[in-house]
Amino acid sequence: MNWGLLFESYVNVFTSAQVIGMTLLGALGGILLGAVPGMTATMGVALLIPFSFGMDLIPSIGLLLGIYCGGMYGGSISAILIHAPGTPSAAATLLDGYPMCQKGQAGKALSIAMFSSFCGGVLGALIMTFLSPLVAQMAMKFTSAEMLMLAFFGLSVIVSISGKSIAKGLISAFFGLLLATVGQDPTYGAKRFVFGFRPLLSGFSFIPTLIGLFAIAEVIAGVERIISGEEKQQKSEEKITNVLPDFKTIKQIWLNIISGGIIGTFIGAIPGAGGDIAVFVSYGFNKSASKHPELWGTGIPNGVAATESANNGCSGGAMIPLLSLGVPGDAVTAVLLGAFIMKGIQPGPMMYVNELPTVYRVFAALMLANLAMLIVGCAGVRFFAKIVSVEKKMLYPIILVVSLLGAFSINKSIFDVGVCVLFGVIGYLMNKYEFPLSPILLALILGPMCEQNFVRFVDVNNGNFWEILNRPIAVGFFVVSVATILFSIYNQHKINRREAENRKKADNA
Amino acid sequence: MKKLFAVVMFLILTLSSSSAMAAYPEKSLTAICPWGAGGGTDSCLRAFCQALEKQLGQTVIVDNKTGAGGVTGHEAIADAEPDGYTFGMVTFEFVTYHALEVSDYKSYLNYDPLCRLNADPAGITVNKAWAEKNGIKNLKDFIEYCKKHPGEVRMGGSSANSVWHIAGGYFMNVAGVELKMVTYPDGAASAVQAAAQGVDIEGVTVSLAEARSFIESGNLICLGLMAEERINNEVFGKIPTCKEQGINAFYATWRGLGLPNGVDASIRTKLADACRAAVKDADFIKYMTNAGLGIAYLDSAEFKAFLEQQEEKDVPAAMKAAGIEL
Repeated sequence: MNWGLLFESYVNVFTSAQVIGMTLLGALGGILLGAVPGMTATMGVALLIPFSFGMDLIPSIGLLLGIYCGGMYGGSISAILIHAPGTPSAAATLLDGYPMCQKGQAGKALSIAMFSSFCGGVLGALIMTFLSPLVAQMAMKFTSAEMLMLAFFGLSVIVSISGKSIAKGLISAFFGLLLATVGQDPTYGAKRFVFGFRPLLSGFSFIPTLIGLFAIAEVIAGVERIISGEEKQQKSEEKITNVLPDFKTIKQIWLNIISGGIIGTFIGAIPGAGGDIAVFVSYGFNKSASKHPELWGTGIPNGVAATESANNGCSGGAMIPLLSLGVPGDAVTAVLLGAFIMKGIQPGPMMYVNELPTVYRVFAALMLANLAMLIVGCAGVRFFAKIVSVEKKMLYPIILVVSLLGAFSINKSIFDVGVCVLFGVIGYLMNKYEFPLSPILLALILGPMCEQNFVRFVDVNNGNFWEILNRPIAVGFFVVSVATILFSIYNQHKINRREAENRKKADNA
Repeated sequence: MKKLFAVVMFLILTLSSSSAMAAYPEKSLTAICPWGAGGGTDSCLRAFCQALEKQLGQTVIVDNKTGAGGVTGHEAIADAEPDGYTFGMVTFEFVTYHALEVSDYKSYLNYDPLCRLNADPAGITVNKAWAEKNGIKNLKDFIEYCKKHPGEVRMGGSSANSVWHIAGGYFMNVAGVELKMVTYPDGAASAVQAAAQGVDIEGVTVSLAEARSFIESGNLICLGLMAEERINNEVFGKIPTCKEQGINAFYATWRGLGLPNGVDASIRTKLADACRAAVKDADFIKYMTNAGLGIAYLDSAEFKAFLEQQEEKDVPAAMKAAGIEL
């Protein structure tokens, strides 16, 4: 570690007006893009790359990292306010964020999301600065067997996000796994459940499905409430005096933030695993470790903190294999790889030898990007929170249009819009009969990952699955997964018992 | 009167249409990209469009029409309005669709090939530690080893039916060996990662650009490049071709441009000329060099012949060898 050079690079980046300006611009764009369901940070980064052609490397990287970090936070805004995760990485934020909003704490939820995003991002940037080579070596160890068990570990969280009934949670999860098999099988290209209908060859697109299950379903339910006269206009009684969470709240959530940030950074560093997985793992872990697991899902700050710190931690994590090995950790860093190459710099081990000042400046730029996200976010909280006080009769049609546009814009396909509407109806019905929706999502993310890596592992070992016993990391993950499942079942029993006792007390009184 | 009217109308129409032709392009163009924004094909197309804009004096908007493994975008190019304002980038996968029964279109029949821009050869790249352990120093040693251990050497080749997966089948045919091809649906990067770790697979059949960082770090070694000549840069210049080592293997992925059938001949010529000039653009060349992509221009007629040869002969044979059911 060359401290002098590191310090110099930080000073260099933090005193350049051009870099700061570009990063702020990126953060603003990222937050707005992230907040719209169907628009993702990946898209934003890809679209802006041509504009960054003419710029120097560091301002353009600042711009792109600003979008990246801003987008991670931006996704939570719509998840909290309208029950529609703006990006897949914000899918777990609505578990507690939306209930908080319904309780009239939209502003508080937003400020917690922003603060946790910032802390998670800084944690990720710090780990990246100081532990890059170590983390990269670990991440590279993840091939078929390890990825399979990591996905299995992710699935073990299902119990934690099942809500009241584990059985219903499992039904949802298996439904999701079944949906994930539609289309061409990833390994051999066999066509499954396609019935000669070509748009189905690549399966149900993930983002339209996500938008349907959450946003459209919520719109249908909302319209139903309006018709039956149950819809109460939320008054924004909440006065936002401080755009950052107060000291008491921070004291309550700091452990969730730190564990979320670390989990996010490590999962983000593994190529092929990103924010969408990290948020659920972090949520499940933090819920299990909590003294009051029964409160999770009812709208507590901890839930928002655990997920938002995890997805922003991911951005630091995903940069680690990119810089130290030249292997992008996720879709956004794959685009960034292209940006580096365009400037004639090949990320990888040689970059640390030949371009150390550039490496350090990228570290500093990531730190700056997180700061920019915080600044822009602070300015926006009051403004975003106002959305809740829009009259529902006006709000639902707007959400509907934005959602369908988002579903369309991913592949510019009308078929995807149909998928979105279909899952809207399915989501609405499932909500009505109290089937949790998040397990479907988790299954859609992890099902293909499980399948691919299982098939590949068995294939390369000539059909002998027990070879997996020679892969210690995989075995470790398996053990942790089983422990997680058992512990969350135990937890669920505890929750049910407590609730029964409370009900009894209430009856007696 | 009627006659006069018809003559006047005829004159107006011909004049206006010919002046429209003279003015082409008078509005912005759309370039369809069948692959996602930010990927290799997308970046290549965007860099090319910037060069093309300088030639045409109009903006060229890249439109990513993705899905169904690239089929959606490729079909969108064929189905576009043949007014010369919409063209698209076509990639290697294009010649496999008809054989795989995922599209009714054939590359050289249902499209009007405009030009080929780039070609990147595949390489036989293996884990260095594994190679040293088994005394493999060059391609000959590797082939000998494969002949002694038929079907045991595991090679990663990106996703199923992809260009690098088929490259493995092609090499098996040419070298007369049997490899076990392993697919990586996430793409070449995860195959390269596994090969560099030396777990699951022994090597990869991808391009050098994909494997670059691990070749530089010394985890992987490229034994032979499936090209006519070595690549002319300092990083890859040391890597020998298969041909030098007595194996006539030539296999590459490529990217080109295509129009829908039926574009007016004069417009078509204008666009083709602009493309030919844009390939020589200094910024485009710089981009391609930095990205490790080789420029391999073919004009329309050459490109069409190339597509027919690929679609009807070379690729189906290689797919069969790779174990892809046709």
